[in-house]
Amino acid sequence: MDLLEGLRIALGSLIANPLRSFLTLLGVIIGVAAIISVVAVINGLNLYVQEKIIFLGPGTFEVSRFGIITNHKQFLEAIRRNRDLRLADAEAIRERSPLAEKVAVKVYGMGDVRYRGQSVRSTTLKGITHEILQIEQYELDSGRVIVEDDCDRAAAVAFLGADIAEELFGSIDPVGKEIKIQGRSFEVVGVGARRGSVFGQSRDNYVLLPISTYQKIYGSRATISIVVRVADPRDLEVAMDEARAVLRARHHRRYDEPDDFGFVSAEALNNLWKDMSRMIFQVALFVVGISLVVGGIVIMNIMLVSVIERTREIGLRKATGARHRDIRRQFLLESVVLAASGGLIGVAIAYLLTLAIRAFSPLPAAFPWWAPALALAISSAVGIFFGLYPAAKAARLNPIEALRSEA
Amino acid sequence: MNAGAFESPGPSGPLIRIEDLWKTYEMGAEKIHALRGVHLTIDTNEYVAIMGPSGSGKSTLMNLIGCLDTPSRGDYYLRGFKVSDLGDDELARIRNREIGFVFQSFHLLARASALKNVELPLIYSGLPAAARREQALQALRETDLEDRASHRPNELSGGQRQRVAIARALVTRPSLLLADEPTGNLDSATSSEIMDLFDRLHAEGKAVVVVTHEREIALRARRIVTIHDGRVSADLPAARATELLGAAT
Repeated sequence: MDLLEGLRIALGSLIANPLRSFLTLLGVIIGVAAIISVVAVINGLNLYVQEKIIFLGPGTFEVSRFGIITNHKQFLEAIRRNRDLRLADAEAIRERSPLAEKVAVKVYGMGDVRYRGQSVRSTTLKGITHEILQIEQYELDSGRVIVEDDCDRAAAVAFLGADIAEELFGSIDPVGKEIKIQGRSFEVVGVGARRGSVFGQSRDNYVLLPISTYQKIYGSRATISIVVRVADPRDLEVAMDEARAVLRARHHRRYDEPDDFGFVSAEALNNLWKDMSRMIFQVALFVVGISLVVGGIVIMNIMLVSVIERTREIGLRKATGARHRDIRRQFLLESVVLAASGGLIGVAIAYLLTLAIRAFSPLPAAFPWWAPALALAISSAVGIFFGLYPAAKAARLNPIEALRSEA
Repeated sequence: MNAGAFESPGPSGPLIRIEDLWKTYEMGAEKIHALRGVHLTIDTNEYVAIMGPSGSGKSTLMNLIGCLDTPSRGDYYLRGFKVSDLGDDELARIRNREIGFVFQSFHLLARASALKNVELPLIYSGLPAAARREQALQALRETDLEDRASHRPNELSGGQRQRVAIARALVTRPSLLLADEPTGNLDSATSSEIMDLFDRLHAEGKAVVVVTHEREIALRARRIVTIHDGRVSADLPAARATELLGAAT
């Protein structure tokens, strides 16, 4: 019996019971749609994270009190062990690390900002040295950026994010206007270009001040972050070691004590994200695995029903010359066609879901070409595996009894 | 021997030679002898009816002749080849090439057209689709159903359904047409029409074996073999049987 004829028979018997076939396939459909959607979303998240979250360039790292902390225990240890970083730490790195091309500093705080009647409460205030603007790529919309001279003089100047500028000034040009922060007057020197939002969080909701000015208001006790850029990204590791040696010496750490500060780099963030996405994927795979197994069992069940319903047909086929293997192949083919059509429907649903995610969220969700191929292969394998027993049962039927059956 | 030998014409001799055939079923500890040493020879182009009350073993004999089952003991030669000790796959091949079955309940595939039903055995002969269609149409022509080729069984009358089944039995050009109560589900007018068709096929050179318990049907054959308690109790030309059976009633 040739394959084409077998496929024709298989499709015929699926179409004969469309509702039953669809219900049978629900498990496989859901499983396949879920796995491909998860792949698409993770893929999209990867791009999203690369573009938007990992703000550090490849040749940049950040030193801060905590670095990257991924669990509560680490946090408790770090809180006990790590010391606040000071401006003097940044100075030391600038002086003693030859690979550090640029050393910048930033410190975060919260405050209320007012312009005449308008005010924005609890917005992010950042005290920075002027290099931050270059390293973290703040684009200028109007006015000018904060320059070295502002920092040296502790000038009362502010650089606004687009959201703040809009809220305080509406359509008026803010440059040159005077705003109040915590009751003190500042001159707006520039407004940043829009940077969009990440996970619904606006990135234009900031006020930048020279760090010296910031410390005049809030004091110099808050911990700072030190951002270091190297000329050649390949030197990043060595530069981090240089900074580590400088800071350990300054903090008088013994050789057997761990660092009392932490590093953040694009690579470390990337690794962190990879670990997270791998975990998401594994959980998804587990759930999908269960739904495929359940789907497979449902397919096996319906195939067993089909063998019983078609006992006479099997008897007739055997009487007219079908061998064991012809019958076995027919039923295996049927169960594979069944499972694979479930896979196809699942791929179609996943495709629509992916389009919907792209349309209604900022995630650039997309699945690679191998995802549907793999899903079809897996669903076919499910069909073969769970079709084996019903097919063997059909092939073993005694033709005499099968012809005589009442079903 | 292997089934491939059927490709070439077999040694000359009878179509069927059965020697001391036994079939024993084990029901728990009990042994039931369905056949107790049957001897039977049927020539090519004979028209034989096998009669017997239910439980006589005639169905068992028919299954063995049809290569659907294997005997517990004894030999069965089909066209000179010993088929009584062949394996399942070889028997399937012989059923496909040498035997055309006609059943009481037609056994047509409900979802397939008459043409597709007739094509069925050719699928297992490994014929390409075009040749299958050609031969199936030819077989439908022989049973006067060419104009019903695209009809499904539920669109056909009982007699037409049985003629589709007969076309299916003929389509592989088997050496034996084996019919099991072929008129059991038909009214008498249609029965007679079907038996006329068997007459014609026999006249055209087919060997026909009809298993039945109906006298009028058996009397259409040229020879009547009667089975009782697993043995051949009578084996007579139909003319002679008419006298005896007539006397019995």
